[in-house]
Formats: sequence, C-alpha cells, structure tokens
Amino acid sequence: MENHQPLLKAVDLTVDFGSLRAVNHMNLEVQRGELVGLIGPNGAGKTTAFNALTGLIMPNEGKVFFKGHDVTHMLPHKRCQMGMSRTFQVIRPFVHLTVEDAVRVGAYNRHGERTVKSKVDQVLEMCELGEMRNRVCADLGLATLRRIELARALATEPELLLLDEAGAGLNETELAGFMKLLHRLNEEEHITLLVVEHVMKMVMGVCRRIIVLDSGEVIAEGTPEQISANPRVIEAYLGKRAVL
Amino acid sequence: MNIAAFLKRNVGWFALLLVAAVLPLPLQKQQYTMVLFMLIVLYAVLATAWNIIGGMAGQLDLAAGAYLGMGAFTTGTLLLRWEVTPWVGMFIGALMAVLLSLLIGYPLFGFKIKEVWYALSSLALCEVLRVIFLMWDEVGGPTEVYLPTVNSPLYSMRFTTATPFYYILLVLLVVALVINFRIRATKLGYQLLALGEDEDAAEVLGIDARAAKLKALVIYAFLCGLVGGVYACFYGYLHPSFFDADISTEVAIFGIVGGMGIIYGPLLATILLVGVRELLRARLGGGLEGLYLVVYAVVLIVVALYQPRGIAPLVSSVLQKLRNALAPGKKEASWR
Repeated sequence: MENHQPLLKAVDLTVDFGSLRAVNHMNLEVQRGELVGLIGPNGAGKTTAFNALTGLIMPNEGKVFFKGHDVTHMLPHKRCQMGMSRTFQVIRPFVHLTVEDAVRVGAYNRHGERTVKSKVDQVLEMCELGEMRNRVCADLGLATLRRIELARALATEPELLLLDEAGAGLNETELAGFMKLLHRLNEEEHITLLVVEHVMKMVMGVCRRIIVLDSGEVIAEGTPEQISANPRVIEAYLGKRAVL
Repeated sequence: MNIAAFLKRNVGWFALLLVAAVLPLPLQKQQYTMVLFMLIVLYAVLATAWNIIGGMAGQLDLAAGAYLGMGAFTTGTLLLRWEVTPWVGMFIGALMAVLLSLLIGYPLFGFKIKEVWYALSSLALCEVLRVIFLMWDEVGGPTEVYLPTVNSPLYSMRFTTATPFYYILLVLLVVALVINFRIRATKLGYQLLALGEDEDAAEVLGIDARAAKLKALVIYAFLCGLVGGVYACFYGYLHPSFFDADISTEVAIFGIVGGMGIIYGPLLATILLVGVRELLRARLGGGLEGLYLVVYAVVLIVVALYQPRGIAPLVSSVLQKLRNALAPGKKEASWR
C-alpha cells in the first residue's frame, strides 16, 4: 500500500510568523525516486517550508505525510528514523568533531556499534572525504563543510533527503562535482531528493521536476523547460515588466 | 595482546593512579594536606561527572549541589533512623538523586529549556531544596543533625582521618572516568557531543535530544549522589547548607576551565584550581582576608581570555609535541 502513495506530501501547509504568512496553503507531492527542485525568489518561504516538512517548526495549518503516515507533529528525530533527513542553508557543522566523528553521529541512526564503522567508511568514500577523516571540522572550508553536512545526512540512510541550498557558495568545479554526486545518489542509491536551490544552473541541470514558490504559494510546477518559459515564474523573479 | 595494548595505551592514566594511590603514605600524618587532597578528589569526581551533562551534552547544569545534598541527606537519614550502613545508603542516596533528576529533567528537556534558562532552572533547584530541607524538621531543620557511629566506624563510615575518605573518593573518581570513556567511545557520547554543538542539526540526524540529555543527566546525578553519601559521612552531620549553590557553580567552572567535553579536563582543572586556591588561601589568608579570591578570579579571567577552549587542549598539544619530539613519525589520534 505504501508504494502507491507519494513519498512526501504536504496538504494545505501554512506557517505564520506573527502576522507574516511565510508559507501559504502550500500543496506538494514528491514521488519515490524523484529529483525535485524547489525554487523561488528570496523570501518566498522555501526554507520555512523545509523546516515545516522536517519538523523543526510546527505548521499553523495543514498536514505533512511521509510514506502515507501523518507526521505533522512528529519530532525531527522520529522522521529521520523513518527515513527523512536534511541539510541546512546556513551550514551547521559540529565544529569540534572530526569529519569521521561527524559522519558517525549520523551513521548511528541505523547502525549499532559493530557496523557503524563500515558505514562511516562507505559514506566517507562516496563523498570523497576519506583523506580528511581525521581533520577537525573547525579547520575546514565551506565547500568541504557542505559535503560533510551531506555525508552526515547520507549516513542516516535516508529514503528522502532534503537539501537546502547545498550548492550555495561553491565554485564551478565544486558545483560540477556536487551535481554529479546528486545524480549518483538519485540513480544508484535510489534516494529521493528535494532540493532547494538558488543556483539556477544547478536546478535546471539536475532536477527533472521543479516547483516554484513565491510569497509562500506554489505558483508553477513542471519540467525545467516549462518552468523557464512560464510567464508567472519570470514575473516572480524579474518583475511584471520583464514579461511584456 | 589486547590487555597489553590497553595497558600501553593508557600508561599515563595508570601512572597517575599509582601516584594517587601511594600519595597518602608519606602524607597521612599531615591532616591539613590529606583533607586538601580529599577535597580535590571530591571536586574532581563531581567535575568529571559534570563533563557528561555539561561538557559533552552542552547543558550548563548548576545543580551538582542539589544531587549531592540529596545523596547526603538520604545516606545520613538512613543511618540515623534505620542504622543502614552508608556503604549501602550511598547507593540508595544516588538513586534518590536520579529520581530527582528525572523529575527535573523530564519537563525541562521536554519543553526544550536550554542554555541560560536551563542554567537558571537548575540553580534554582539547589535553592528550592535548601529551603525545603530547612523547614522539613523530620530530616533537616535549621540545626545540624549529627551522624552517630553505629556498630563500628567502618560500618557507619565514620573514620577519624581523611585518608579512608580519600581512597573511597579515589575509587569513585576512577568509576567516573571509566564511565566518561565508555560514553565517549559509544553511541551516547557521539549523540551528546552532537547535541552540545547544534541541537537542531543533531535532531535531523535521528538523535532523540530529550532521551539523550536525560540519560546524561541521570548518570551525572547518580555520581553526584554517591559523592553526597561520602560527603555527609566525612562532615559527620547533615545540614540544609549541603544544597550548596557555590559547589554547583564551582563544579561547572572546573568543567568549563578544564575544557568542554574533554574527559581529563575537569580533573586537571580541579587539581590546578583547588590547589591554587588553597595555596593562595594559606599564603595570603594571614595578611588580607579574601585576597586569595581576587587572585583566583584573575586566574579564571586569564584562562577565559587566552584559553577559552579550556586548559586541556593546551596540555594535550604540549604532550603531542613532546611525543612527536620523542618518537617522530608516529601519529597519535586526537584526545577528544
């Protein structure tokens, strides 16, 4: 039964910060195996939507379903145990831990003391972090820290991974490597990905379906080609006159 | 092979233990020195226990005095009323401290009370208990309740010198250190360290923040409760002032100055700071009363300014350099 349902589904999701409505009756579905992009101009509510989907904030209205279960009020760690993990837009590294230890924190989600080491090794290798496994996170640069944050989330063995601007601040080469890794995760590891991204090149290059958010509402949905031709999207990004 | 490797890897610790174990032999005639050493070990146990909740889990707990007092009053009252030996009583006292910690920790962690709010709440716990016991005449009351010697000094843990207490606390210190190492090397330790750094990030990696913090608090309270039992027997009386906010803050200071989350840090800081404090008190106490506290404060400020990660990282980097100088090419894993 589980397989017929979307992996992640948000119904009428609404989040208010005081009088500001950050997310406004948002509906969204992510099917198993998809690689979906969530884009929108600054302040569109992408990160807030992410926080509500992963349980870091509680929505004022609406529901979140994961694998067909209502998880709206479930704590983040329980969602992670069900198979959902995420990264953060502003990186949140465990600065005093070594790279290996940071990944190990995530690996304990599904592994006991006996198997945790091999999981860590596997993830470190996949994310090409093996050489710096004994470095302390405080000494590392942004690009590496973003990779560690991804590695840490991967170590929890998620079915759904939500990446919040994981490409921000990366240069061309780093971005290319990162996009390759995302493809690999989606195709070989069968991890469903929902990606918030500012870097258009990455979204257009990686995602097969894109959801556009503006002022907390979904304004468009479709393939990269459809989205880049959609007048409402252009309007949201560039203003009304650009459409004419 | 494993045992040999284990011995070799921890040779520093065994040397330290040996020194600590034979230390009283030449010194036990000097009462003051022995009391001082005993107090250092007593604080070291508390600070090492604090490392679990404070250093690893990052919760600025200021309730050591509450759990200590709980252990002390339980142990003392059991001896006084029912002639239960403190050797058993201290474990019951520790369980009472655990019960108290659950009562406090469950709602605090459940409602996500953190940082300064957690610190203030835990400090308030000390004060609340002190007042309760001050008014509770059956066990406490405003006057000291003296502990009797039942059967034999050994049975009621009422020794006339500090040396036996020193050894009892030394055993507790070893237990506290072993528990620290055990936690640090396993799942709970990694979870606590992650929580201590960033709670949201830890939670989305599948860590049950409430459960992990509660486990840390319970272990810490248990150790403080055990120490409390010995504390009551050493002083030989019970008084509500045992619920001491000063002890609580000092324990946290030792944990922080030592180096958050570094296992030997609190021990190191306790030895240095209590040592310095008492030395200053002895030297300066005759001239200007209270001057030692000024100097002590300056020492703390210097550490805060120049070594905000604590003194342990400094010491381990010196050790590391020494080791590299002695055996170049060999790489040692980080202490943390």
